[in-house]
Amino acid sequence: MEAATTASPPVLHPRALAFTVEARGSERRIGLLFGATGVVLIAGMGVLGLIMRLTQATVISLSPAWFYRLLTLHGVGMITGALLATMGALWYVLHASVPLRTGRMLATYVVTIAGVLAVLVATLAGGFGAGWAFLPPLPFYPAGQWSVWSESLFFVGNLLVGAGFCVFCIDVLEQTTNTYGGLVRTLGWHYLRGREEKAPPPQAIAATVVAIDGLISCAVGSTILLGLLGRTYDHTVGIDALVAKNLVYFFGHSIANLTIYLAAAVVYVLVPRYAGRPYETTKVFVAGWTGSLVFIATAYSHHLYMDFVQPTWAGIVSEVASYGALLPVAVITIYSMTMLIWGSRYQWTLASTLLYIGFAGWAIGGVGAVIDSLIPINFRLHNTTWVVAHFHTYLILCVVVWAVAFLAHLLERDAGRTSSRAATAWTVALILVGGYGLTGTWFVEGALGIPRRYAIQPSGTSGYSIVGASFALLLALGFLSLFIQLITLARSAWERRHVYPLVVHMDSWTGTHYRTRVTSAESGAALEVARPVRRGVPLASHAQLGFGVAACIVALAAFFPQVINASEVSNRYHHLDHAGQFFLGAMAGLLLGSLPAVSRRFGDRSSLGLLMVLAAPMLMMLIMVPRIYEPLERDPFEHGLYHLAMAAFGLVTGLGATRLGLVTGRVMFILSVGMPLMFAAAMK
Amino acid sequence: MSSVHYGDPQIAIGLTFAVLALLLAAAFGVIAFQAGSEVGTQRVHDVGYWLRKRWLALLLVIGVLVVGISLFDLPFATGSGVGRTVVKVTGGQFFWSLSPGRVPVGSHVRFDVTSVDVNHGFGLYDPHGHLIGSVQAMPGYDNELDLNLTEAGVYQIRCLELCGLNHSTMESTFTVTRR
Repeated sequence: MEAATTASPPVLHPRALAFTVEARGSERRIGLLFGATGVVLIAGMGVLGLIMRLTQATVISLSPAWFYRLLTLHGVGMITGALLATMGALWYVLHASVPLRTGRMLATYVVTIAGVLAVLVATLAGGFGAGWAFLPPLPFYPAGQWSVWSESLFFVGNLLVGAGFCVFCIDVLEQTTNTYGGLVRTLGWHYLRGREEKAPPPQAIAATVVAIDGLISCAVGSTILLGLLGRTYDHTVGIDALVAKNLVYFFGHSIANLTIYLAAAVVYVLVPRYAGRPYETTKVFVAGWTGSLVFIATAYSHHLYMDFVQPTWAGIVSEVASYGALLPVAVITIYSMTMLIWGSRYQWTLASTLLYIGFAGWAIGGVGAVIDSLIPINFRLHNTTWVVAHFHTYLILCVVVWAVAFLAHLLERDAGRTSSRAATAWTVALILVGGYGLTGTWFVEGALGIPRRYAIQPSGTSGYSIVGASFALLLALGFLSLFIQLITLARSAWERRHVYPLVVHMDSWTGTHYRTRVTSAESGAALEVARPVRRGVPLASHAQLGFGVAACIVALAAFFPQVINASEVSNRYHHLDHAGQFFLGAMAGLLLGSLPAVSRRFGDRSSLGLLMVLAAPMLMMLIMVPRIYEPLERDPFEHGLYHLAMAAFGLVTGLGATRLGLVTGRVMFILSVGMPLMFAAAMK
Repeated sequence: MSSVHYGDPQIAIGLTFAVLALLLAAAFGVIAFQAGSEVGTQRVHDVGYWLRKRWLALLLVIGVLVVGISLFDLPFATGSGVGRTVVKVTGGQFFWSLSPGRVPVGSHVRFDVTSVDVNHGFGLYDPHGHLIGSVQAMPGYDNELDLNLTEAGVYQIRCLELCGLNHSTMESTFTVTRR
């Protein structure tokens, strides 16, 4: 932990100096790298959005083929841009108290950017245009617009984006639970029950919730993406449209939703700096985020309200969860932050103004979303532009605005100044008028039943598109003005760079030393990051090891000839048997790696463990297609070897999980063995 | 499509949202105005936490009422469909096929909707151009939508799920004849 300092630049509230910590060089660099890349990506995707809106207004002419390419790229690119910026921002605020690894974050960056490039090529060069939700089996019905390589590349790109987020979530979960002593303590449940006096800070609790839900989403998303990737090289693979839709929406909805929760964790740290009042964890806060942990993972099913074959209870659960998700947001995040701001002599800067208007965007967009989450209302609004309206309200006017606010915060602090009041006022006015005008037009169109995702608008409705496009132009002007101010602040920060002396720091991840600039008040010792450590193994006690042995014995059934023969009746049961074999291997790996003697011998190979736990289940599912396993089944020896390979992939997964510590290891084990089960359900 | 009937549920929904959005905007305006003043932290806590309990209670009451009421008006088809005219709807890239393609006014219709290729959205618009209901057309599944068609005229069908290149022009009609 670093000491409080009195050298913060004057952009912050004077009272905030008592609790605001100076950012380390690594935090500033990671923050700037992720923030700037994310915002540039968002800006590029925003331009695509403007082009699409102008096309709908018939101001410019774009063929439907190109419209859907841009629509697909716009969706994936926007979410990835928001994800990058908010991940960087969270790392920036969390690193002060939790030893996150710089190397992991750079790996996240490289993998995510590779994913974006793949999607870029798949859409622009390959013509892929099935939408960012790629609702199966649409990718395999291209209507002459794209080829197999572009759909494969699109899936790989999404897999990479998911993998990048996964690496980030694993590191966050590993280090928060190690720092605060296990999952229950990290989520503040001991504090909630009165067993402990103190709880982790708000950003740590929020980050842990995001990491858990993020890992679940990535596991679900990877499963369906791998299944679809397998389908590209084996056309005999069948897809259960309903199960696939559930998996796709669980992934897409949750990832998009999590960007706002990532940003919320950041806001808990940034807003107090402008309000001059610290924000601390309370019991209500802990209870609220526990609710969010559940609601984020259960709300997705509202995308399937109009699939009447989906069980009714799933729709009801989703409706309750969608409303339930509103409560922590309205009662804790937005309410508490406005309480913090009320009568605080709030320091109005470019960053703090953007932070403030973000709350309104979340609240107003959220109301639109909750209205649409009621089943009888969704019956009239499903897939109309109402949906586009509400999610653009909280994505543009909250998540994107907060992503830029984070960047502005970094630059303001480095520059030691903010933008002029007039420039800020004009910029914010343009963003508010343009943003709410754009989304307001969609709300009106949605209420009138105009469908979404139309390259050509229904006759008689182009007037709405012209109005919407006009507001979109105002919004673009607002963001242009914003970026000019950011560039000006960046130049000021660059000119001030010599104010900060160079000092030597130790890299917490590699143990090597590097030189970085810090403010004069910072001392090298105070800024040193605690070394990341691994605490515990997934099966820690004799009873747990015994449970592992028992589970292995039961899972042996997956190798019984009777079970194997019985599973041959359909691909689904066959895949289920493979899932059982994978489970046996994974459980054995978990057991083996948890044995004290083996664990000591392996040592702290966390990064290797992460690689194993990510790669092995993916490889296992990539070869689980009839085109690969059916020729092997003609020979009993090769058939047996194939099944042993399933277990071997499991073994690698289980061993890898043990290197991630008690909590993360268990979470990754459960998700990894769950993936083949979901695969069996979706691919038939 | 663009005509407006003020009695339509969508318009009521839109107006409700507009009122709530304006109230929220006003609240954020007031808070922004007050942010520049100096109020003691203790005072903010005392009043803020008192108010927050009531705010939570209000949201809970609204939630129970709204969600509870909505559950009594679920659009999912129930029962065997006896007494209903079954209209078999098949979606495909990029067409709708309906059999029969017309029913007499006052018919209780069960649309049995499926797809031969990808996911489509069966959106039914009344003769005034108002969306009166939708259901997904999914390959391998039959979704059943029950509607009572009390107005004669030509109903329009639009695709409400992205289904490929010609998604926005995937249209058809369904006629409700006078008796």
